[in-house]
Amino acid sequence: MSAIQPVLNESLGMEFVTNLLPHLINGLALGLLFALIALGFTLIVSVMEVINLAHGSLFALGAYLAMVIIDPSLQNAGPIGLWYLGLPHLLRYAIALIVAPALVAVVGFGLELCLRRTYGKKKEYGLLLTFGAALVLEEAIRLTWGPVEQFLSVPKEISGAFIANGLIYSTYRIYAAAFGIFAIVLVWLFLAKTPYGAIIKAGAHDSEMVRALGINLPRLQLLVFGLGAALAAIAGIILTPIWGLRPHVGVDAVIPAFLIIVLGGIGSFWGAVLGGLLVGMGVAITGAYASAWSLLSMYLLLILVLTFRARGLFGKKTALEA
Amino acid sequence: MSTTTKQRSILNRALLAGTAIAGLAMGTSQTLAADPIVIGLTSDSSGQYANSGASDRRGMLMAIDEFNAKGGVLGRKIETVHIDTETTPATGSRVAERMISRDKVGYLIGAVSSGVANAISQVAQKHGVIYLNTNSSSPTESGANCHRVKFVWDGNGANFAKAAVKNTIASYGKNVIQVTNDYGWGHDTSAATKALIETYGGEVSDDILVPQGTRDFTAVLLKIQQAKPDIVAAAVGGDDQKALRSQVAELGMGQDYAWINNQQDWPDVYGLPKENLFGVFGTTWYYGLDLPGVDEFVAQYQEAYPDTKMRVPGNVFYNGYWATRSLLEAIEAAGTTNNHDVIKKLEQLRIPAEVRMQHDDAYMNPNTHQMQQTVYLATANTGSDDPDDLFTIVSHSSPEAVADTDADASCKLESFEDTPVNQP
Repeated sequence: MSAIQPVLNESLGMEFVTNLLPHLINGLALGLLFALIALGFTLIVSVMEVINLAHGSLFALGAYLAMVIIDPSLQNAGPIGLWYLGLPHLLRYAIALIVAPALVAVVGFGLELCLRRTYGKKKEYGLLLTFGAALVLEEAIRLTWGPVEQFLSVPKEISGAFIANGLIYSTYRIYAAAFGIFAIVLVWLFLAKTPYGAIIKAGAHDSEMVRALGINLPRLQLLVFGLGAALAAIAGIILTPIWGLRPHVGVDAVIPAFLIIVLGGIGSFWGAVLGGLLVGMGVAITGAYASAWSLLSMYLLLILVLTFRARGLFGKKTALEA
Repeated sequence: MSTTTKQRSILNRALLAGTAIAGLAMGTSQTLAADPIVIGLTSDSSGQYANSGASDRRGMLMAIDEFNAKGGVLGRKIETVHIDTETTPATGSRVAERMISRDKVGYLIGAVSSGVANAISQVAQKHGVIYLNTNSSSPTESGANCHRVKFVWDGNGANFAKAAVKNTIASYGKNVIQVTNDYGWGHDTSAATKALIETYGGEVSDDILVPQGTRDFTAVLLKIQQAKPDIVAAAVGGDDQKALRSQVAELGMGQDYAWINNQQDWPDVYGLPKENLFGVFGTTWYYGLDLPGVDEFVAQYQEAYPDTKMRVPGNVFYNGYWATRSLLEAIEAAGTTNNHDVIKKLEQLRIPAEVRMQHDDAYMNPNTHQMQQTVYLATANTGSDDPDDLFTIVSHSSPEAVADTDADASCKLESFEDTPVNQP
């Protein structure tokens, strides 16, 4: 009995680890996707101190525009239309990944220009304006593309499934997670290694000093808001092939995005990334072992972190804590 | 003035006065007769069932337009009030209360979510206002949560499970995993399915609860793969179900297990690629049924709603239409809007198959207030290039074959004495 028990325990332990491993990988992938959703949100909050409640609608708009760019209705548009439709799907997808965020950035510019009237006033004004913009954008999407489910088609090179260790995994999910890493690194390089990034970070720390140094602060804010909107659109293009595409899909994005930046510490880039990873891991693990708690897990995680660290994981100290 | 002349004068005045009083009385009665009947449409415009709510509403409005075109009901036009119930029970309750007390609606129609339907029906019962639950298919709606004023028009989870479970277990095996949306309808449907699985010799090895609003089912799908069941019985609805279907199809898991998807609402699948429609599922009606009247009904829909992206009607529209039409016909048959009389008419309702465009006569169960009707088992129609022709009807079961017998035991309707009289 005593000789068998350790072997049995070891076997059960191995089985547990073998079963757990796919869920850990899933959590990591999901976490990267959550981090991707939060990137644009955290950028705008940290530089402009505006909680952009239209983030989810910009997320949805990006996906809808990408859908049109990838599969436009150009059958009757003459030779140019037919030429475009003749391009490889992968190429049209790549074009969508650049053009759709650029178009959403323009919408972001417009929103920032409207927001300017609220600068220096109560924060609620900005909050209300972006909330109103979210409703307008969602309704505009509904009127343009209708309320029914739409599809953002994915090139065959990054779709389908593969089998590893007896389990089927989604190829697209691996691509999406890899793209998440790529986007995170790219944004970090932009912020950390370029003069524009240095100005943005300086603007976040001390906008008055930046203005005193002769930097055009309104233009900087316009740029940041546009960049944040474009990042929301990119997240929409990457996420909606998994979540599905409908006018209110933005609601599914804005709540986790807000939660993640509070969890990671408002204004912290790496806080948002870590927050995304923790939320993704939490949702995936509870999804496997206590599935009814999977969505609730992110809120419990937030309560837990804020109980012991009110400013979030990497948040700056406030005057009261100093 | 002679006596005769005086008498004539008095008579004339009396006649004039009488005419005036009669005229006034007639005028008043004509005004009363011309008062419209106001119906509150309690369908969702936002939330998980926004899309289905819109379809439901279109069905109700088409029936109302039909009656208004022939002069209304009992000589009274029909007007509607719609407020979004937001797929939220608390909102449903608030909307019902407001419609009854402020908008003075005489009847309430509409629901997709069972939680919302239950909330509305509690308010309706308190006020004695007849409420038609058009599209919520939780077994409790005509079971433990039934009410004298409430009538349920959709097939429920038990009906659909009965149509599917026995054959699937016999064909694919006994080991079943359930995937259940973690709210009222999901739990009720799952419980009804589990009871049937056990009745037919199957075993439920796990019940995976998924919260409403779940968009990523990867963890659930990994767990199913690790457990290797023969059958997956899913009770997942609305947007959650669309995400689940798309992710299962992407992994090619639709062919690896026998999927029982309970009911499939048309707005939830319309526009989906056909490969996403794996497994078998139930429905109460399909526009491709080869039955008299179906083509005309579809043409009427297309004429009424030329701009809708949903080019053909589905089960949700059908239920909304039939619930409303049957209510208005019951008022006409009763000759009064008095709720007790109309309820009695609805309890005796029987509609021939050829009128309902189904395979069997449909009838109201007077003990549970659920419409007993044909239930169809369907799967994806991969053989057709028509993007609207999504379903292949595999079989149809008579109302008796799929009857929810548990509901008869659990439903305790309030007496008429305990139901306030209401005559809108």
